[in-house]
Amino acid sequence: MPKAVEYKANSIVYFKGDNNDRVFLLKSGKVSLKYNDIETGQEMYDLIQTGEFFGVKSALGKYPREETAMVLQDSNMIVFSVPEFEQVVLNNTRIIMKMLKVFSNQLRRIQKQMRNVLSSDEQAVNPEAGLFKIGEYYLKMKRYAQALYAFRRYLTYYPSGTFSQQALLNIEAAERYAKTQGSTAPTSSQPAYAQAAAGGGLDAPQTSTTSTQTISASEEELSAVAQKYYNAVSLFSQQKYREALEEFKSIVTGGQDDEYIAKSLFEIGRCLFAMEMYDKCMGHFTTMIQRYPKHPDLVEALYYVGSCYEKKNDTEKAKNFYKKILSMSSEDAAVNRKARKAIRIIEGS
Amino acid sequence: MALDLSMFDRFAVTFKKNDIMFCEHEPGDTFYLIQSGRVQIVKIMGEVEKIIDILNPGEILGEMAILEEAPRSASAIALDQVRALEFNRENFEVLMQGNPQIALKLLKLFTKRIYDQKRRFMILTLDDVQARVADVFLMLSETQTGADPNKDERVFNTTIDDIAHWAGMSPDKCRQVLNHFATQRRIEIYPDKIVVKNINDFQRFVGSRRKAKVE
Repeated sequence: MPKAVEYKANSIVYFKGDNNDRVFLLKSGKVSLKYNDIETGQEMYDLIQTGEFFGVKSALGKYPREETAMVLQDSNMIVFSVPEFEQVVLNNTRIIMKMLKVFSNQLRRIQKQMRNVLSSDEQAVNPEAGLFKIGEYYLKMKRYAQALYAFRRYLTYYPSGTFSQQALLNIEAAERYAKTQGSTAPTSSQPAYAQAAAGGGLDAPQTSTTSTQTISASEEELSAVAQKYYNAVSLFSQQKYREALEEFKSIVTGGQDDEYIAKSLFEIGRCLFAMEMYDKCMGHFTTMIQRYPKHPDLVEALYYVGSCYEKKNDTEKAKNFYKKILSMSSEDAAVNRKARKAIRIIEGS
Repeated sequence: MALDLSMFDRFAVTFKKNDIMFCEHEPGDTFYLIQSGRVQIVKIMGEVEKIIDILNPGEILGEMAILEEAPRSASAIALDQVRALEFNRENFEVLMQGNPQIALKLLKLFTKRIYDQKRRFMILTLDDVQARVADVFLMLSETQTGADPNKDERVFNTTIDDIAHWAGMSPDKCRQVLNHFATQRRIEIYPDKIVVKNINDFQRFVGSRRKAKVE
C-alpha cells in the first residue's frame, strides 16, 4: 500500500548515489532536487511542484539516485514501491504519456549536448546525404537488397534531391547485380514502385536518362512508371505545371502501380494549386483523402486545402483546416510550422 | 506478464530476413513492437557497419518516433522473418488505452536510454584523453555480467575503434593512449581483446580527474 509520509523542513528524502526504489508524490510543501549538470558539473536545483512525482527514473531504471531530494518546508508525500507506482500509472495512462514526453525531451537534450561536444565529428551529417551514403555503403558491400532499400527511400523523400539521379542509376545497377548474383533479386516485400530505373549503369554519365536497357518486360513496365513520375516531378520543379499535370494524370489513368498512383494524385493537387485552380484543387484532394485515408502526404494535402480556402478569402474555413493540421502533426514538422504561421497571419489581419 | 495483443492484429507487419525495417537518416514516424523474430540494430561508422544491438520478441524499436519525427539514428535489419506491430503517433493513443502495459514498458525503456546516454556523456566531459579512455573501460565494466567482483582484472572483447568511438576521439589518438597504458602495464592489448589489469586503479584515476574538473 502506498504510504502517506510527513517530512520536516531541512530533512533529506534521499541522497545522490542512494540505491532506493521508492517513487514519491509531493502532496504539499516544498521539495527541491539538487544535482550536478552533466556537462559543466555545476550545481543545479529543480523545484518539485505539488502533485508531481519524483524519483521515478532511478526507481524504474533500478540505478542509483542522480540527485539529492531536499525538503525546504514541512511536506506531505505519498511513497510508492515500484509495483505500486506501476499499478497507479497503468490505471492512468495520462501520467505515462506526460512522463514519456518529459523523458523524451531529456533524452533529446542529452543527445544534443553530446552532438555539441562531438561537433567536430562526422556526427553532423545531413540526413539527405547520410541516407544516400548508406545506400552506397551497402552497394559497395554487395548487399543489394539493403542498398535498394536505402536508395528507394532516398527517392521517396528527396525525389529531386542532390543525389536523385545517381540514386536512380545505383538502383538500376543494384538490381542488375542482384540478378546476376542470383540470391537477392528485388524482393516482393518492397513496394513495386521502388523498381525505378532511369538511365545507364553506374558508369554512364549522370545526366543520361534516355539510354535503353535490356531488361525484362515486367521491369521495363515498372521503370517506365517511375521514370515518368520523376520526369513529371522535374517538370513541376521547372514550373511547367500544365505539362507536369498531364504526366501525373497519365500515370494515374495508366493504373499500373498503386504506389505511384498515390504519389501522382498528391502531385496533381499541387499542380492544380500552382495553376491557381483552387476549387478543382480542393475537390481533388478531398477525393484523394477518401481514396487513400492513410496517404503519406495527408497532412500536406490538408494544408493545401486550407490554403485554397484562404485564397478564396474564406479565412474561417482555412483556419479550421490549419488547426486540424496542428493536431495531426508534431510541432517541429515543417507543415505544422507552416500551419501555425498561416493561423498567426489570419488572426493578425 | 504476457500481453494480449490480438486486438492490435491490424497493425501487424512482416519483414523477410535481411529486410531493412528502417534506415539510418530516414525520417522516423513509426515504432515497432517485435512479436517474433530478431532485429539487428546497426550503424555505419566510417567504412564499417557496427552492430549496436540485437532485439528479441517483446522488445520495442524506433521509439523516439513517438513524440517527434527526427531522422533515425540507426538502421534496423530483420535477422529472421520478423513479425512486428507498427505504430505511429496517430494510433499511439489507441495503443495506450488498449494496452497501458506497453506504455509502461516504453517508459522503462526511456529511463534506461537516458541513463546510458548520460553515462556516455560523462566520458566526453573529461578533458584528459587518458581519463576518457579509462572511463570507457569503466562504463563497459559496469554493464559487464559474469565478471568476478573480487578480482581486479577485467577482460573486454572490444576493438580499438569501438573504444575510440565511445571516447569521442580518432582511432589513432585512441591507439596512442592505449599503447601508453600498455607500456605502463595497466593494460594488455591482444588482437581480439583488451585486458585491464586493475579496474579499481582506473576507477581512482578517473575519479581524481573528474573531481579536478568540478573544483
